Amino acid sequence: MNAQPLKTELDTQRHALAGQPMSGADVIVQVFADEGVEVLFGYSGGAILPVYDAVFRYNALHLKDNGDESMPLIVPANEQGAGFMAAGYARASGKVGVAVVTSGPGATNMVTPVRDSMADSIPLVVICGQVASSSIGSDAFQEAPISNIMGACAKHVFLVTDAGQLEATLRTAFTLARSGRPGPVVVDVPKDVQNTALSFHGNGELALAGYRARLHAVEQAALSDADCAAFFAALMQAKRPLIYAGGGVIAADAATPLRVFVETFALPVTTTLMGLGAFDTTDPLALHMLGMHGTAYANYAVEDCDFVFALGARFDDRVAGMPDKFAPRAKFIAQLDIDPAEIGKVKPVHWHHVGPMTRALERLTAYGRAHGLCPSLDAWHTHVADLKRVHAMNYDRDHTLIQPYAVLQAINRHTDGRAIISTGVGQHQMWAAQYFDFRAPRHWLTSGSMGTMGFGLPAAIGAQFAHRDKLVIDVDGDASIRMNIGEMETVTTYALPIKVVVLNNVGDGMVRQWQKLFFKGRFAASDKSLHKKDFVLAAQADGFAWAQRLERPDELEATIAAFLAFDGPAFLEVMIDPDAGVYPMVGPGASYAQMITGDFIASRNAPSTQETTASGMF
Amino acid sequence: MNHTLSILLQNEAGALVRVAGLFAARGYNIDTLTVAATLDPAVSRLTLSLQCDDVALTQILQQTRKLVDVLQVAHPATALAA
Repeated sequence: MNAQPLKTELDTQRHALAGQPMSGADVIVQVFADEGVEVLFGYSGGAILPVYDAVFRYNALHLKDNGDESMPLIVPANEQGAGFMAAGYARASGKVGVAVVTSGPGATNMVTPVRDSMADSIPLVVICGQVASSSIGSDAFQEAPISNIMGACAKHVFLVTDAGQLEATLRTAFTLARSGRPGPVVVDVPKDVQNTALSFHGNGELALAGYRARLHAVEQAALSDADCAAFFAALMQAKRPLIYAGGGVIAADAATPLRVFVETFALPVTTTLMGLGAFDTTDPLALHMLGMHGTAYANYAVEDCDFVFALGARFDDRVAGMPDKFAPRAKFIAQLDIDPAEIGKVKPVHWHHVGPMTRALERLTAYGRAHGLCPSLDAWHTHVADLKRVHAMNYDRDHTLIQPYAVLQAINRHTDGRAIISTGVGQHQMWAAQYFDFRAPRHWLTSGSMGTMGFGLPAAIGAQFAHRDKLVIDVDGDASIRMNIGEMETVTTYALPIKVVVLNNVGDGMVRQWQKLFFKGRFAASDKSLHKKDFVLAAQADGFAWAQRLERPDELEATIAAFLAFDGPAFLEVMIDPDAGVYPMVGPGASYAQMITGDFIASRNAPSTQETTASGMF
Repeated sequence: MNHTLSILLQNEAGALVRVAGLFAARGYNIDTLTVAATLDPAVSRLTLSLQCDDVALTQILQQTRKLVDVLQVAHPATALAA
């Protein structure tokens, strides 16, 4: 740690506690307080005990008017749960999520949430206890090389070797997590550093000259008149322009400028899985999600469009599995992102801008208005409306078994796109993405890039701490929820009114779907029909006062209503049709034109040309 | 083709590992690598060479610039050509 703290604040802005003697652990907690941290998630252990003690003492001295602790420390069943709670909190609130864990296994259990948050650009600060400086490298008890391990998957990792740099390092960690393209920052703090007697400064960060110079350049970047003119020259020639909006719109809090841009120029909008909520899915110009399991109408619109405006989206393999065949008729692709490395990474673009999303969208809107530029899109709007009508989502409504789509539609009728929905990973995740409405950002919490099963339950817990009064629903699968099922007890321990619905298809449904398609129906290790767990009994054992199993389609509406109306934690297991599949599906190596739409969604392809039966089982 | 990169980075614990790890994680093979302190002891210069095409080079330059410890990434050959 050679970098010197920046003297960024004037003496007139001196911290009230400046000059106070504090232990390293107290410094950590005081920086949390200064950064506005209102909840911590973590599990205790030897190498983090000084920090846990400092949190305890801080809370004892800083009770809120209502008697609540001002920085409650929420304890999961497993550190991975703490990491996903912090991530759920961050996704739902837009603030930095904070997790505090011990060394060794505590820290390695945190690797998955850190990598997950990196992949989805979620701001976290993770404090890991570490063995004493003098013991590092000695194979000490509960020692792991966390700066090596986390360095490979976090936005940045600090190993605090000089206690004098602890305060500046902590504050810098928050800046790094939330600035530029957000991400997780890990601070590994040896136990002796936590116990060092320090003097609190109350300000100062590490210099990080390279990072700050690059960040400054990106944050100051502005669209020139020539940039705007080039953009509109292409847009005015376009007959079928389409916005492809990703998670970057949500991370940038740019949903409002996007709405204004769309109101002004009337481009239809499709979003990625991570972008759901960036644009109101109930809007007539909304095409919902595109990609491997996107709506047929969104994917056909991508096939038909002649202009793509990519906003905070990165053409990943679930969207552009075949980059050459993505948007094949697009004569012009424009890309806006905060990360220079995403420009042209997968697909070359004709126009790009690296900079803050809100300012760029506002600038384009103002330029277009000032110059009276508005494309005439009536024919394209008619075409998009036809696509939405003809290729609407649909399923077997007369089946004798409960269809998962019907369950989600029933929930959606109650929530109307205003509940916070978290998910695990697999079929239930895709069905939730497809069938729920999302009227605003930060209502959809899902492990998009990493695809981490077990994400849903702890993420819901974290989200409930961000929004105590909102309805939070974990839509989970029977396999995904098993991954972090210990957190069921966490829900009831903290009396969180979370609604957990498990769509039980007795196995790993998405794996089975691929095995049907590509492995001739050999269900290697994906069938759970011999598993003995009674989920309802398990929920009751964990203290859920409302826990039911739904097996009859005719009880669906009433059960969902009672489930959602229950005042407190509620658990609902729904035994669904185990053969229900996720449609549409753009198979690996296929273009959107080759999309399989299943038996109930209209395809453009003649039935004979549909390759639905690679295994003969579909 | 063969490319040589010159990277200035903060002389922090683990900084070298982070650069080398980035190349490994993104599938680029480092052919040669030297690291030495500069006149400023807080800054190290890392010179490495690798084989890759131009598209891959652009991406690895951009990804290296995302490392927090990295102060500057230069590709002297492009600088000379330009």
